[in-house]
Amino acid sequence: MLGRVGRALVVHELLERTRDRWVLIVTALFVLLAGGISLYGRSAADAQGAVTAPSIVTLATFLVPLVALVLGHDAIVGERERNTLGLLLSLPVRRGEVLLAKYLGRALALCLSVGGGLGIAALVLEPGHRAALLSLVPPTLLLGAAFLSIGTAISALTRHRATAASLAVVLWFLMVFFYDLGILAALVATDGALGQDTVAWLVTLNPAGLYRSGMLVHLLGAPALADMGLTVALPGAGLSAFLWAAWILLPLGIGALALHRRQAVTG
Amino acid sequence: MKVRLHDIQVRFGPVQALGGISLDLEPGQVAVLVGPNGAGKSTLMGVLLGLVRADCGEVVVDGRPHPRGLPLSEREKLGYLPEAVGFADNLTGRQVMRFFASARGLSRARADVVLSRVGLSQAAGRAVRGYSRGMRQRLGLGVAILSDPALLVLDEPTGGLDQEGLELLWEILAEWRSADRTVLVSTHDLALIERRADHLCVLREGRLRAQGSPEALRRQVGLPVTVRVELADDAAVAGLLSELRASGLCRVQVEHRPEHRLRTLCLELAPDALLDALRIVDRSAAQVRHLRVEEPGLDDVYERLIREVA
Repeated sequence: MLGRVGRALVVHELLERTRDRWVLIVTALFVLLAGGISLYGRSAADAQGAVTAPSIVTLATFLVPLVALVLGHDAIVGERERNTLGLLLSLPVRRGEVLLAKYLGRALALCLSVGGGLGIAALVLEPGHRAALLSLVPPTLLLGAAFLSIGTAISALTRHRATAASLAVVLWFLMVFFYDLGILAALVATDGALGQDTVAWLVTLNPAGLYRSGMLVHLLGAPALADMGLTVALPGAGLSAFLWAAWILLPLGIGALALHRRQAVTG
Repeated sequence: MKVRLHDIQVRFGPVQALGGISLDLEPGQVAVLVGPNGAGKSTLMGVLLGLVRADCGEVVVDGRPHPRGLPLSEREKLGYLPEAVGFADNLTGRQVMRFFASARGLSRARADVVLSRVGLSQAAGRAVRGYSRGMRQRLGLGVAILSDPALLVLDEPTGGLDQEGLELLWEILAEWRSADRTVLVSTHDLALIERRADHLCVLREGRLRAQGSPEALRRQVGLPVTVRVELADDAAVAGLLSELRASGLCRVQVEHRPEHRLRTLCLELAPDALLDALRIVDRSAAQVRHLRVEEPGLDDVYERLIREVA
């Protein structure tokens, strides 16, 4: 899948991202808050682990997309701004492979970040509750992978790092904070005429919603959805897998297309 | 590697960035693209490297045509220095060089050798963010020569380089020329690179306005040569002066320096009249104390060429 240049680029990206100040700051925040929640859950004698893991899910829903967008937003535009994109593309490598290698290198950095947060949280918890928390790792990585893909697409579509960063922050607010509010507003505006199926679909069309609702059902069972006001079942495993694949592959494809079509030098 | 750029045309929206440029890059030659900002130098290099898609034209490498620039197989033999290159500033110079070595299938030892060659051994362990512009340029130069490429493409390589850095660049150009490799350099600072250029291509507004060896361009432009003749201030000077004026070969100005008992004749003449004028000076009875022939610099030639087409 990856040639010599691609493999070297994966390692290079991992090395570079693990030294990036903003990635370290957001990761440290995630690790601290996850550890703090676990510590609180332990001291509050959360015997069933019914509070800690769902709280970690909520935290991950907010912070993992942020880590991923911070990781991905400058993948291509950063190279363009420091005049190394041409240098990179002048190596014997296809443009699509450059994008994929950058994505994979940054995905490895994301694994370290997510692993750090959930790992610390698991270490702090009572040993008996660790399994539930560790079961969050693969879906949380999927959530990060989807937003990393979105960030990478932004980096290929923009011409300036500042634009990419602004776009990433706006998208984070829209998808993580305001999306649910938007659905709520639509419900209010239509006086509840919006069907439960439509609401369920809308929730799961957003990767953050797909993750949160899926994990809450996984941890607390179907009644957790009723608490959220949803009385219908979520998409099955097959459809969920399709949605995750779409959220990861579609933005990457758009990014690859943009990198392929754009001129690497315009001077 | 013999490279021919044939009828390259590039349009960015409504702007014609390159309008049908053809040029040959020969092994053992340093070809220099020269032109003002926006002339299309970097774009032309981009087409050659496959970074910019040409709307028309092709790149021919050793007789094989490639409409989309250098193919992947040929890029193994390529070294490229982009203009004002930056690199990841949170990595060290060594990490950057090792990445490119690894991407090119070269050893870490080779990366260290090149770091030493470009004078960055001492700074190799420092983060690139602490590098000056000249040091970044040296690092870029190192990346470009890492694989001993058969085709070296340097976009504004003199930017930020101090005297020592320039010496390194001249060494590299001389080495590549003597090894019969192909070099393409772009610059807007012709005075610096004048003595290292074998073939000059003058670009303006996306068109190739002139090309040839520096000598050929000098001849083509026909800028006057200046001869300064310092003479002992005696009666023979008047004879020489009148003979020169009568010959119609040159314009003559006279400077008188009575405190040194000298007169300086400043002759401005066409290059092909130089020998005749010197013969007249040689034949005369005037005592020549000092004689200097000043040829026009390449930057004068370039300015004339650019002015002619403006």
